[in-house]
Amino acid sequence: METLLQVLFNGLSVGAVYALFALGYTLVFSVLGVINFAHGAIFTLGAYFTYLLIGGAVGANGLLAGLQLPFALPFWLALPLAGVAAAALALMVERIAFRPLRDRGSDPLLALITSLGAGVILVNLIQLLVGAESYSIPVGTLGSLPAALSIAGAKVRSVQVILLAIAGLLLAALSLWIDGSRSGKALQAVSEDPITAQLLGINSTRMIQIAFGISGFLAGMTGGLVGLSVSIAGPYFGIGYGLKGLGVLVLGGLGSVPGAVLGGLIIGLAEACVPADLSGYKDAVSFGLLFLVLLIRPQGLLGRPQSSKV
Amino acid sequence: MDAGLLEQMLLGALLGLSVYLPLRCGQLSLATPGFFAIGGTVAALLSTREPALAGSGSTYPITSVLLEMAIAAMLTGVLAMGLGRVVLRLRGIYLAIATIALVEILRVVTLNLEFTGGALGIFGIPQPFDSAAGYASFTLALLALICWLCDRLEKTRPGRAMAAIRDDDLAAASQGINTADTKLLAFVLSALVAGITGVVAAHFFNSWNAKLGNFDASITTLAFVVFGGSRTWLGPVFGGLLLTALPELLRPVGDLRLIVFGVVILVGPLFFPQGVVTPELLKTLKRRIRLPPTPTAQGGKP
Amino acid sequence: MSLLQVENLGVRFGGLQALKSVDLEVQQGEIFGLLGPNGAGKTTLFNVISGLTAASSGSVRWRGACLDGLSSHRIARLGIARTFQNLRLFSSMSCLENVLVGLHQHGRQPSLAALLQTHSFRRREAQLHQQALELLALFQLEASSHQNAASLSYGDRRRLEMARALASRPQLLLLDEPAAGMNPAEKDELQELIRRIRNKFKLTVLIIEHHVPLMLGLCDRLAVLNFGQRIALGSPEQVRRDPAVIEAYLGVGA
Repeated sequence: METLLQVLFNGLSVGAVYALFALGYTLVFSVLGVINFAHGAIFTLGAYFTYLLIGGAVGANGLLAGLQLPFALPFWLALPLAGVAAAALALMVERIAFRPLRDRGSDPLLALITSLGAGVILVNLIQLLVGAESYSIPVGTLGSLPAALSIAGAKVRSVQVILLAIAGLLLAALSLWIDGSRSGKALQAVSEDPITAQLLGINSTRMIQIAFGISGFLAGMTGGLVGLSVSIAGPYFGIGYGLKGLGVLVLGGLGSVPGAVLGGLIIGLAEACVPADLSGYKDAVSFGLLFLVLLIRPQGLLGRPQSSKV
Repeated sequence: MDAGLLEQMLLGALLGLSVYLPLRCGQLSLATPGFFAIGGTVAALLSTREPALAGSGSTYPITSVLLEMAIAAMLTGVLAMGLGRVVLRLRGIYLAIATIALVEILRVVTLNLEFTGGALGIFGIPQPFDSAAGYASFTLALLALICWLCDRLEKTRPGRAMAAIRDDDLAAASQGINTADTKLLAFVLSALVAGITGVVAAHFFNSWNAKLGNFDASITTLAFVVFGGSRTWLGPVFGGLLLTALPELLRPVGDLRLIVFGVVILVGPLFFPQGVVTPELLKTLKRRIRLPPTPTAQGGKP
Repeated sequence: MSLLQVENLGVRFGGLQALKSVDLEVQQGEIFGLLGPNGAGKTTLFNVISGLTAASSGSVRWRGACLDGLSSHRIARLGIARTFQNLRLFSSMSCLENVLVGLHQHGRQPSLAALLQTHSFRRREAQLHQQALELLALFQLEASSHQNAASLSYGDRRRLEMARALASRPQLLLLDEPAAGMNPAEKDELQELIRRIRNKFKLTVLIIEHHVPLMLGLCDRLAVLNFGQRIALGSPEQVRRDPAVIEAYLGVGA
């Protein structure tokens, strides 16, 4: 029997992953007004980077079969490095899939397709290089930690504790940055009104790059964390999370940071509350919830209502 | 060309048209794979469980396929009418995500229900044609019919109303256009096309499972339209045919084929922001074909 | 009975009172002007009349019947057409197609006839095209009928929007700053044009415009709004001399 605390813990750690995912979408959405469909692929790559950096070996099925880095980093170092690599990748995606459209003043809708194209390229590149098999990040890389901790009588896996702690740290750092720093304020200005922000001397191209960089960093870190707590289930494993992240994004309200966190936690907890014999319906629960919220509050829980000026 | 590939391309074109219909009215709905899945499930269930439809010959009767299509159309039409009333109040990306949510809910439910065969799906769907060429000719006729209907739609009053809503729905409403009903019409037509296509696909694939209507399919079908163009029905038909064929045609490059596919949908919108097929392109082509290269009375505007 | 009655109309957006107990009556056949500084609530009044914005209090009556809660396409079908201050043309369409959309309510045909392109269907479509071309000619746009609406000059776009509004055969035409962006010669012509279409189509016109000489020369009666309230009403001569108007436009002590 699971205790309430365990359910809560499971819900929170899944919810935190969704929230980080949604935040990555939200950052890009708030500056560009479009969804980056390559986000799931960047998350996936983050997981693979982490795996390689801790000294994991590539399986037999890809072009890089048998590859192993000559060094093995501890997880706590590998994870942020994977985040940085993922951020670099996100900047590349911005450069090839978003900027050319912006330079030509094309319909932003097209970025859905170009970013999808970038995602397809990345995912299949992974498959080509390292094969379709699943990889797991051994808990041993964390050092000598017990597999489970006992908190108030409930057994909680220690990787979940780590996941929650890092996710919480990232969320706190992000909100501090947005509300407290100059560049965070500039980001808000660009999302309010890009043209006015530009007139006020804010370099919007730079802000867009910052948004992509941070969103890529978050995605990479999240990928590594999920790889640790679950496993890396092949090159396509980011798609399911990406989809859920989209749901969370809309549930919380597009462009709202607290909304993304709230949405993530709600969906994570709702899924954790689905009883085991109905676990097949888990995904239906979260999307059903999203659907209902949209019908009652079309702008999402914490989003601002849309209006068009006459 | 391989008739089996041709059949897949034709199905792709039909799905492209289904995404195109709401998009022509400015509504980004990604519900097409959901209605496609419903059509397929209806065909799979009826043809494997209903002995009355099987007929006496060696092949499954085409009249039964037509009957399945009618039932699928009715079901998807009624469902779209109900759902459309609700979801079409949402705009832009919110509508897109709400429709993705619908498709996902449907997929999960199909995956878990007993009578739809769960994760494995339904097997041994009877064959109305004994060759892929038979399927291809039937689907070609269906595609021609739907293209013709779309062409008539574009050139008449409801089609003009749809284009007006896409350009500016407030201004359209101020011209007396009932925007809610027009959007609903486009949404229902889209569902009908997807549902009917699902019926044909279920027979062609011989088996049917929940995977056929997932998020990937939503996005791929959207790519058909964005790549081909969303302002004339020829756009999604072109996009559907080409992008379905592409991964197959690229088989010689082996593992690189999906990467090349990615490159095509990444680069396509950069060079053809309106899609490859636009009304302007069609006009130019028409002029080239019909008129001798002399100045005409109409084109003389400075 | 007056054609359009605005009774005690109030509109509130959050903390902003955009309109405050405004009363107006527009008589059949007149050209009625709305003057006022930016932000006075003129466009909001248009939006309420055409069903785009809901009133917070008061009501709008059309031939005595209340318009409250009607959606904008219903109001358009009752015979109220409008243009927009910041031009809302269908930018992917040609001029002709823009006007054809304006003819929407009059172009209804049986679906079967449309599908089969019957003789009567084609004749009716040809008639619609003819009507659209005539309207374009009235605004001297016939030469650009196949040109994309977005490619027109600013003044031409304003005229095209008027042609589109007229296509629905309205009884009341709401014009929101029709002279904005026009050069002086075009403005002079516009005054003449509005009179001409009023007479030809037996229209009533409600017009918002900042160009005061045009308004004084064109309108039969004028109302002046300031901060959401009606501060003056009367003939151009009366309004021109009204101290409240002078104060609103020039400031206290002018």
